Amino acid sequence: IPQDSVKSIGESIGILQLPDHAMKYLSEETSFRVKEIVQEAMKYCSHRKSNKLKCQDIDNSFKAKNLEPLYGFISEEFIPFRFASGGGRELHFIEDKELDLNEIINGSLPKIPHDVAMKAHWLAIEGVQPSVPENPVPETHFSIEVLKKGDLKEGRKGVPPMKSCHKPENSSLVALKSRFTHELSVEQQLYYKEITEAAVGSSEARRAEALQSLATDPGLSQMLPRFSTFVSEGVRVNVVQNNLALLIYLMRMVKALMDNPTLNLEKYLHEMIPAVMTCIVSRQLCTRPDVDNHWALRDYAARLMAQICRSFSTSTNLIQSRITGTFCKCLHDDKSSLAARYGSVAGLAELGTDVVQNLALPRLQVEGGRIKNILESPLLNPIDRTAAEHLRGLLVKHCGPVIKTIRQPPDHPEEYLKDYGSLGPLICQHIIKLR
Amino acid sequence: EVSSLLSAYSTEADPSSYDDNYRILQQFIEMSMDGNKCELSLLLYPVFLHMYLELVYNNHQTKAKAFFAKFRGEMEHYHDADLHQLSNITTKSHMEGNNFIYNLKSNKFVVRISRESNHLIKKFLEDKNVPIIRNILNVQVTIDEFEGLPRTKNQIWASAGGLCGEAKQEENKAKVYYGLLKEPDIDIPLEDEEDTLEDQTEGGGSSKSKRRKKKEFLSKKNKSDPNAPSVTRIPLPELKDADKVEKIAAAKESLKRIRLAGTDRVSPSVCCYTFTNAFGGVTAVDICDDSTLLAAGFQDSHIRVWSLTPRTLRSVKSASELGLLDKEGDDIFDRMMDDCTGTESKSLYGHSGTVYSLSFSPCRSLLVSASEDGSVRLWSLLTWTNLTVYKGHVWSVWGVKFSPHGHYFASCGGDRVARVWVTDHHQPLRVFAGHLSDVDCVAYHHNSNYVATGSSDRSVRVWDVLNGNCVRTYTGHKKPVMCLAWSPDGRYLASSGEDSMVLVWDISTKVLIAQFKGHTAMVNVLAFSRDGEVLASGGMDNSVKIWDFQQMISDIDSDDIGMLRGHATISDKNYLLSDFPTKSTPILHLHFTRRNLLLAVGVFVNN
Repeated sequence: IPQDSVKSIGESIGILQLPDHAMKYLSEETSFRVKEIVQEAMKYCSHRKSNKLKCQDIDNSFKAKNLEPLYGFISEEFIPFRFASGGGRELHFIEDKELDLNEIINGSLPKIPHDVAMKAHWLAIEGVQPSVPENPVPETHFSIEVLKKGDLKEGRKGVPPMKSCHKPENSSLVALKSRFTHELSVEQQLYYKEITEAAVGSSEARRAEALQSLATDPGLSQMLPRFSTFVSEGVRVNVVQNNLALLIYLMRMVKALMDNPTLNLEKYLHEMIPAVMTCIVSRQLCTRPDVDNHWALRDYAARLMAQICRSFSTSTNLIQSRITGTFCKCLHDDKSSLAARYGSVAGLAELGTDVVQNLALPRLQVEGGRIKNILESPLLNPIDRTAAEHLRGLLVKHCGPVIKTIRQPPDHPEEYLKDYGSLGPLICQHIIKLR
Repeated sequence: EVSSLLSAYSTEADPSSYDDNYRILQQFIEMSMDGNKCELSLLLYPVFLHMYLELVYNNHQTKAKAFFAKFRGEMEHYHDADLHQLSNITTKSHMEGNNFIYNLKSNKFVVRISRESNHLIKKFLEDKNVPIIRNILNVQVTIDEFEGLPRTKNQIWASAGGLCGEAKQEENKAKVYYGLLKEPDIDIPLEDEEDTLEDQTEGGGSSKSKRRKKKEFLSKKNKSDPNAPSVTRIPLPELKDADKVEKIAAAKESLKRIRLAGTDRVSPSVCCYTFTNAFGGVTAVDICDDSTLLAAGFQDSHIRVWSLTPRTLRSVKSASELGLLDKEGDDIFDRMMDDCTGTESKSLYGHSGTVYSLSFSPCRSLLVSASEDGSVRLWSLLTWTNLTVYKGHVWSVWGVKFSPHGHYFASCGGDRVARVWVTDHHQPLRVFAGHLSDVDCVAYHHNSNYVATGSSDRSVRVWDVLNGNCVRTYTGHKKPVMCLAWSPDGRYLASSGEDSMVLVWDISTKVLIAQFKGHTAMVNVLAFSRDGEVLASGGMDNSVKIWDFQQMISDIDSDDIGMLRGHATISDKNYLLSDFPTKSTPILHLHFTRRNLLLAVGVFVNN
């Protein structure tokens, strides 16, 4: 703070005749104190994890020194300094406009600023930065690095830096994740072809061999993405064509892959789970639902799903709760078909008795009523009949043991009828047999 | 007190003789042997400093100014910040009540030199007539002498930079039990269901490798470490059932951990959480150990907690509703939560100043926060309310950290002390005093027996919680230390700060073992991977850097004699594994999940 400033500040508050040595003392002393305060404020600034000193930091530093902070000063991110010169002197200042209070009071309220939000993206996957919009464009980074290097090495010689741009390509720090798919060797391609053909072909012996290979051979991880896609695409196509046999073969492939201890399916669950789920709850899986045994496929797939849950469900991916959610949604949907309901119940049942007790038992009454309605309806077709009977059998089979544990004997069919609806008596019989 | 300390400066010496005295010292150093030159030149700074202050104290202002201007340019760059402060002090009145001066006066400046060099100095003082320098060296400077060869320039540079010189060797003599505590015996059901399943399908054979892995894991846990303190050295809370469940979950997760070292090394994957619309307001971030919760502290003094999983954040039911619940039920912990209150994030209000630091308790139901208002607050993440206010710090509280065993937490602040508290007492258990300036960061050792602190006096200290003693003092940072991290095995301490360097200290051999240079701005955060293979650092230069920690450790020459004398030779090999720049997001926090996925948190800054 130069002496001139002290003088003009003094004049502005009416002190006209300031002696020189007083002025000198004041200017030195204020400069020192201001420096001290700014130094203290820098500390607050760095703890705020920011590069820019703000009014708030100055306030904090006042507070720490037991001084009254200067209330009412809030800086914006961008402070436009204006420049003026005149009389051989240069001046930087902030424009401080006079505001009309009436305008502010009567004007419409400003828009509420957006709430703080958090967004996740991949900064790097296995050490490589994916080229997504959230990440910096690698090219600019390259050229800056290269230009800097070029400047150091060859700048003095007068070589245009553009020329050196192409040279040290591999010295760049950022590597781009390539979009090329991973190539398989010829042997691997042959193996893949043989296995997939055998797994869905007509010869049962060859199929067994192929599945055995999938379940035990090490070193298949490179082909795992292909197999995963094969299964998911296969299921997609064959569900539409109601090709029951192929769906069963595909599920057996999934089982074999799951059983292979050298493979980790975790990264391919996004393809596997929908495929398996389809085989459990799809409306129709075969051409003749009245005679074909698609129930076995549903049961098998349900067991697979339970295995997936046991192996991969964690507190972070919540696979199990998502899967039970899907089953429950299907079960609670009035429009879903009996076959789909059968699948859902089978799927829930495989996840353990707790799940059955909490999610299937409460539905027993409703389902029982529905089955009764269908079986007693005058327009009964054979498809609905088999479906209803299967569903009834399944419910009795799985709910029986659970109810057995929560109820004490004696078992009266009337009580069961009251508690569990029309399926009650059947379950009662089942339980008596179990006991 | 200050004035009495300062009175040591009053001399009758002729102000014009200062220049000559200083110049004689310079000439002497210039003429000495190359080997000693670097060590001897360490004397220049303290002599310069105190000569200037003597001149100022004795009211020779113009002389002082001229002296300062003449020789300032010859000082090392790492003294710049201090010299800047020094240049502000131009009159005697400035010296009183100034913290910087008080620190210089109340602590002697420590210079570590070899016996040979010390001998040269003694001879110099005898031969030449330099009363001013002799006086300064006697009164203001401590010479810490060591046996053996003089240090090289790099070695000197590595440990220089402290406010009052280096740490004396004898300060680091104490034995530190840096080993990890023996894990309590918990029966970990090693995914037996998975095992039986495999047995069914495979008929043994294949699951061997997995079993071996588990066995290794178990044996590692149960081996007792010779360097570990006894389990009862610091009383730790008893494990509750919930803690055991948590430990089992952690052990299960860690089996699926990605290996970041060895032959099948995988580079880490980094998931970046970016805050938007924060207007530069986020000042503190923490992620809980199992990576399900993220807390952020804001400049406007509120705290917000997010759930990083699809599970929403719920609060407990009211007391009357809780009374109706069956307390013996298995799902009691789930049932006591009120589903209607589930939201993705929750806010905590209570502080009246910027929140500078946050820390989750290991059990995830508590959060401590430190703020500019001088208080530390404890929050319940079950009721989402403030439980306790811990008052004790005088000015801002810069850092707070829960003990890895819960129950205890440490805080540090602008009043130059670190404190250890227990959650159920409103007064601190320990006060660690010794730093000469603000204590900026604090880190609890994994065995809960030690606390490390970093300070604006550019030193790192390690304190024993049992008796409150300072057991290690390390100098080497050139600017304030802002972050500390203990390696998972508890032996190494990494520190970083405004000088954009990451330094690694060995607690066992008591020396600096590595300098990771590569950042271009303040390094805000450090994180070790769960197995200690790599060290991740993130800073204001919008980048996350990964350093090959294990390689660095294996490169250390254990036969280096310097190690015994407190200065190892530091290789200048570049251990940078990868560098991930962000667009415009300074990194505020880094966290390795139990599977070694790296989570980075930052605030988008709109330029």
